[in-house]
Amino acid sequence: MIMPRGQQLLLPANPWFIFLSLLSAQLLNMVLNMLLAGNAAWAPDFLAVVLVFWCVHQPQRVGIGVAFFFGIFNDVQHSSLLGQHALSYTVLGYCAVLIHRRLLWFKEPSQSLQVLPLFVLAHVLELLVRMLSGSLFPGWWVLLAPVLEALAWPLVSVFLLAPQRRAPDPDENRPL
Amino acid sequence: MPLGTIERKPPAFFKHGMSSLSKLVVFSILSVVLMVADVRYGVTQPLRATISLMLYPMEWLSMRPQWLFDVAGRFFEGRDDAQAQVQAMTLKLQQQALRSGQVEQLALENLQLRRLLELRERLTSSTLAAEVLYDSADPFTRKVVIDKGALQGVQPSSPVMDDAGVLGQVTRVMPLVSEVTLVIDREQSIPVLNARTGARGVAYGEAGGAPLLELRYMASNADIEVGDLLTTSGVDAIYPPGVPVAVVVKVERRAESVFARILCQPQGRVQGARHVMVLEPLGKQVPARPPYERPSTLPIKGGPR
Repeated sequence: MIMPRGQQLLLPANPWFIFLSLLSAQLLNMVLNMLLAGNAAWAPDFLAVVLVFWCVHQPQRVGIGVAFFFGIFNDVQHSSLLGQHALSYTVLGYCAVLIHRRLLWFKEPSQSLQVLPLFVLAHVLELLVRMLSGSLFPGWWVLLAPVLEALAWPLVSVFLLAPQRRAPDPDENRPL
Repeated sequence: MPLGTIERKPPAFFKHGMSSLSKLVVFSILSVVLMVADVRYGVTQPLRATISLMLYPMEWLSMRPQWLFDVAGRFFEGRDDAQAQVQAMTLKLQQQALRSGQVEQLALENLQLRRLLELRERLTSSTLAAEVLYDSADPFTRKVVIDKGALQGVQPSSPVMDDAGVLGQVTRVMPLVSEVTLVIDREQSIPVLNARTGARGVAYGEAGGAPLLELRYMASNADIEVGDLLTTSGVDAIYPPGVPVAVVVKVERRAESVFARILCQPQGRVQGARHVMVLEPLGKQVPARPPYERPSTLPIKGGPR
């Protein structure tokens, strides 16, 4: 892949790390929900952020299929409509794969501006599906969620790329 | 360049699988099919139960921080707090002692009268204590998840209450957990009885999402006042009769509408219940409805026109 000049070469990503990071994002969502005592429409969905991150950085490993299955799991956990998150994550995964070549040419803050529309789209899709199935309107706070997700993007990028940024030949002076 | 930097496997040049667009189409269609199956036909329950079972370890894990807070909180809870609680409880007990004496007497009297009238003994339903694990993260509904499921004998449509009143109804049973739709959910309705006047009605969750109930289809001139207690009526063969449901907090009589808009405050702690009780639905104990008999009609003179 052609890379921007001066960018560090990354180590290959560990598939187990990818899987565990997705699971811990889901766990983080669950803990956040417990702390907020549910029904917080503005709570950011970290699983969506991590999914988009891996769809952008490792499109060969994490793609639309993985996003779909995590969506189903999320639906059962949320006890929402089965397929609601699956649909929005599928679309999210597709859009992420679509922009993955372009996105990595930008610095992290500009990246988060570019992924904002993706998260907005995902949330609007969920809202639309639920409104069509005759559910309660959760209030305009729901618009805050994609913004928070976009703000979390740089942080998530730093965390998840850290293991790949280790030195390829660790020695005594450079243990990591 | 060191070897570890490069992925060892050569990239797949020719074998790419489906294109992204076709994947998008396939999975979107699959999602829509799932949603329709879920809403229209309700056939996704086995899938939900399986996935819920797989998710249970994660749920258990996610409860740990809260549990830790609880333990720490109990540890640091002061002596004063405990003493104040004891005082309050003693006061409450004294107040209740008087009443309980009366209650026993009344119950005895009631029993005798019922026997006298050869009435059916008051229906009793078996109960199951449960704990609320968490509020559902779905902002579109009002549900909680409790820690008892099909393996512990929870049945769908069982009423759920806490010490203050009705909380809701079990709407989905998984192997280890169940979902309770609260009475304030927009889709949930509960038959109630005005304890003051004896008028029956049906209360729904407030449509705007506020934690309130709405008593619908009561005429504008109906006898209802702020402060009226609504209890379960017992005509539904689900809820036991006489359990507090809500108290009327607002009556809006409007000129343009035949019905009054009546808002009620739920009595169960719908927003912070911890320990709840799952009752068995009464439907099993109530005798079945007698078969419908078509009334015989006299033949109309001249036959059908």
